[in-house]
Amino acid sequence: MKKVKVMSLISIVLIISMLAACSGGSSEKTSKDDKKLTAWAWNINVPVLEAAAERFKKENPGFELEVIEIGREDVYSKLTTGLQAGGQGLPDIVLVEDDRIQGYAESYPKAFLDLSKYGFDEHKDKFPASKTDLLTVNNKVVGFPFDGGPTGVFYRSDIFEEAGVKAEDIQTWDQFVEAGKAIKEKTGKPMLGLDLNNDDGLYRMMMNQQGSLYFDEKDELTLSSQESMNAAKVIKQLKDEGLVKNTVGWDAWISAMVSGEVATAPSGAWLTGSITGQGKDTSGKWGVIPFPAFEEGGNRASNLGGSNYVIMNSTDKKQEAYDFLEFFSTDEETQLEAMKGGLFPTLNTIYDEPIFTEKQEFFSGQPIWSTFTAQMDSIPSVNYTGNYSLAMDESIKAQSESVSGKKTMKEAYKAAEKRLENRIK
Amino acid sequence: MSQTRIIPYLFIAPAVILFLVFTAYPIFSSLLLSFQTFEAGEYSFTGFDNYVTLFHDEIFHKALMNTFIIFIVQVPIMLILALVLSSVLNSGLLRLKGFFRVSFFLPTVTSLVAYSILFSIMLQEEGIINTVIGFLGIEAIPWLSDSFWAKASIILAMTWRWTGYNMVIFLAALQNISNDMYEAASLDGAGKIRQFFSITIPQLKPVILFAGTLSTIGTLQLFDEPFNLTKGGPADSTMTLGLYIYQNGFEFFQFGYASAIAYIVVVLVGILTFIQFKVAGDR
Amino acid sequence: MEAKTSNRIEPNFHKDTKVTRNKKIPQKLGMYSILMIFLIISIFPFYWMFIGATNDSGKMFTNPPTLTPGDQFMKNFQNLNESINIPQVMFNSLFVSLIYVVAALAVCSLAAYAFAKYEFKGRNFIFTAFLLSMMIPYQATLIPLFRMMSELNLLNTYFAVIAPQLCYPFAIFLLRQNFLAFPTELIEAARLDGAGELKIFLQVVAPSMRPALAAASIFLFMTQWNSFMWPLVVLNDASMYTFPVALSSLMGLSYIDYGQVMMGVSIATIPIIIFFLILQKQFISGMLGSAVK
Repeated sequence: MKKVKVMSLISIVLIISMLAACSGGSSEKTSKDDKKLTAWAWNINVPVLEAAAERFKKENPGFELEVIEIGREDVYSKLTTGLQAGGQGLPDIVLVEDDRIQGYAESYPKAFLDLSKYGFDEHKDKFPASKTDLLTVNNKVVGFPFDGGPTGVFYRSDIFEEAGVKAEDIQTWDQFVEAGKAIKEKTGKPMLGLDLNNDDGLYRMMMNQQGSLYFDEKDELTLSSQESMNAAKVIKQLKDEGLVKNTVGWDAWISAMVSGEVATAPSGAWLTGSITGQGKDTSGKWGVIPFPAFEEGGNRASNLGGSNYVIMNSTDKKQEAYDFLEFFSTDEETQLEAMKGGLFPTLNTIYDEPIFTEKQEFFSGQPIWSTFTAQMDSIPSVNYTGNYSLAMDESIKAQSESVSGKKTMKEAYKAAEKRLENRIK
Repeated sequence: MSQTRIIPYLFIAPAVILFLVFTAYPIFSSLLLSFQTFEAGEYSFTGFDNYVTLFHDEIFHKALMNTFIIFIVQVPIMLILALVLSSVLNSGLLRLKGFFRVSFFLPTVTSLVAYSILFSIMLQEEGIINTVIGFLGIEAIPWLSDSFWAKASIILAMTWRWTGYNMVIFLAALQNISNDMYEAASLDGAGKIRQFFSITIPQLKPVILFAGTLSTIGTLQLFDEPFNLTKGGPADSTMTLGLYIYQNGFEFFQFGYASAIAYIVVVLVGILTFIQFKVAGDR
Repeated sequence: MEAKTSNRIEPNFHKDTKVTRNKKIPQKLGMYSILMIFLIISIFPFYWMFIGATNDSGKMFTNPPTLTPGDQFMKNFQNLNESINIPQVMFNSLFVSLIYVVAALAVCSLAAYAFAKYEFKGRNFIFTAFLLSMMIPYQATLIPLFRMMSELNLLNTYFAVIAPQLCYPFAIFLLRQNFLAFPTELIEAARLDGAGELKIFLQVVAPSMRPALAAASIFLFMTQWNSFMWPLVVLNDASMYTFPVALSSLMGLSYIDYGQVMMGVSIATIPIIIFFLILQKQFISGMLGSAVK
């Protein structure tokens, strides 16, 4: 009988240790009573949130915010897991990017708090329409606008100078291609780095610029539309003329720019943070011009990237979370701090602050921020839809086939549209 | 006597309880999920719909094909390399064995964060790998942007990471082949290479099988390399079953569909393992 | 007992009388050159990682690449420590991994011993079920497992991080193969002496199985130390983060300090190398039992 006793002893110890671990409990359950809020965010957003919380605390004693720093991709892994498990283990506040938010809001209609019920509408005109439209899903306002990605072409002024090309003269994509040819001829350097097989950022910016993305406002596919062909044509042209350096992945792309291997990078305003951070030695060798248009005098405003704060419906501190984020989103000091970290605020009440007209040393004395604020009101609203990820997957394939010449441009995009239709039904 | 009959059950009890709770239950639950479809926040039973869709899913077919190609090419290369390395390391003539052993094992323990950053830099068109082969007079290879070379890159990266792991397994087994066999063979005039094929390989057969099974499981679930290096591109040429499961779940929110793929993977691993054992057994 | 004799790592060819000294030199040269090529391939990324850790962020991307150590070692270390609190993360990772190794070893070795040395109903069925479960991709079971942890109110605990992998089929398999090699007569002799079954396991069998246990420990330690996705979704508190999760939190969108990241991955690699070095001799002979059966 002795052995049985020993074994049951072991089992008991095991069970007790399990129970002990259970009673350790999860922090979000134990903190139910107090006013402490939890937020998930990445990178530069963390100190911005924390500083804002400090200021908010002065007016609201007892308020507390715990910001948990999580990698950008990791936030989505955790958010998806929590939502799939029916709203378990989620914080009160989450940072979600523009291109993801509609996907979540449509796939999980009950995930995010409807802010219009809490009075968000009074702040609507403080943000560009492109942003508030994005955040309105099925007549609900699902998030607070935070930063945006008004686009521009970042360029290496040293390379342009060497080639004798004036960046300011580039008004259209045709001129952009021509400038690229001249630079290639004089310096041997490609015009831009693109990850043609894995990313379609340039295509998306061009589509947004022309008023839609993968879907128009009626949810119709646009991959084979005229706009799409315009965009794809420029990309194919750039590639065919040898103006594209194929950079695979983010690291290589940034690297190509700061090491001066490519002349330009069409991108969102937030790229400022990356190039000033990674290329400290290249100060004074940069400039920014607005996005080229498809025809003379055409729209030059577009958007790439940006993020928003959502309140999870699973929280029991909805009002507290709303009050804080309302403060956060409309507080000018907060937005200016975010700017220091390279984020471009969408709160338009601050665009008259001095920083927006200040000359930036890094960009050869150019007041780059005004280039971006100038276009905020002209950025077309875009319908991302819940099928954005699927659409992007197909769009990238179409781009890859189109530039490699495996299929003609039209065929490639037609085929992708067809595949996409099958995948979303 | 009845007591001793209870003992083994007591011994396996902790493992079985943990298994039932933390492994069997989630597996069962995801099996149920594979018969459901997710729509606007709700799951509903749709029978075999996911499996039927899978049958017509071109990307799935591609993923299956890619995984199969990688499996057929990579596993033998890696196992042969591991065999060679372990034989060389085992052949008494060398100093610094411990040093080599640790060095070859190192890639196995790399953190994925470093792995993805370093390899994506190295495999760029003007990256260090192309620079090195440039010295040998070979033209730059489009490692990550050509569908053939992207697969090759995945295979290279996997081989880099896992050869040392298998080498250590083989090295251990080699210690167990008695010297007498080799001595007898060399007295008969068999050269080193003959010895390798007529003694080493047959003696190692069970271990090779063991390593092969582990690699089969690893390859069919292959995720890290394509996720970090190619995201499945260009044009799905490096899409693998593991990556497709992840994408369907975490990017397209179709966990039911993802589970269905996972169960296909299970059946495939089962079949392949069975074949491996059959082939090895018949020899 | 094989396990004991194999502790000495005996070269197989050293008695090879037919090969003369002169003949050995080119052969040696060939072997060393093979080894050197593989050595460079294996180690280069690690060397580069270290270079990255001593240089400023952008230096990883210069062309031609920077391959000499820089002087930013301390700065990167300090920055990293500000971002992730290195001692805390190191402690968490070590704590979780070591507890896991001990607990999993207990669970797995007991089960493996039972599978190897007892006849009982359902033995093969259970063993096969364990092995088959290895074939399920983790992406498929992540959500159900998470939901269960949350219903048990176990989210954000180390228990939740460790528990799902405690019954680790690969370790059970490895250990079982070794236990099979253990002479049954010794067990029976001990039984005749009146020793209890658990005592036999702990005092007779386990001590001679140290190499196998060491081998299993390395695999278990590696598994837990590098485990990423599961700790990421289960832990909700930065002060509980393990290394892979903490390092991944450095990966933002527009700006990544590569000097910091490389410093972090370098540090995270050290303990696992030490662990391997400590156990490698035993590990190599520990694989033995599993190998020949």
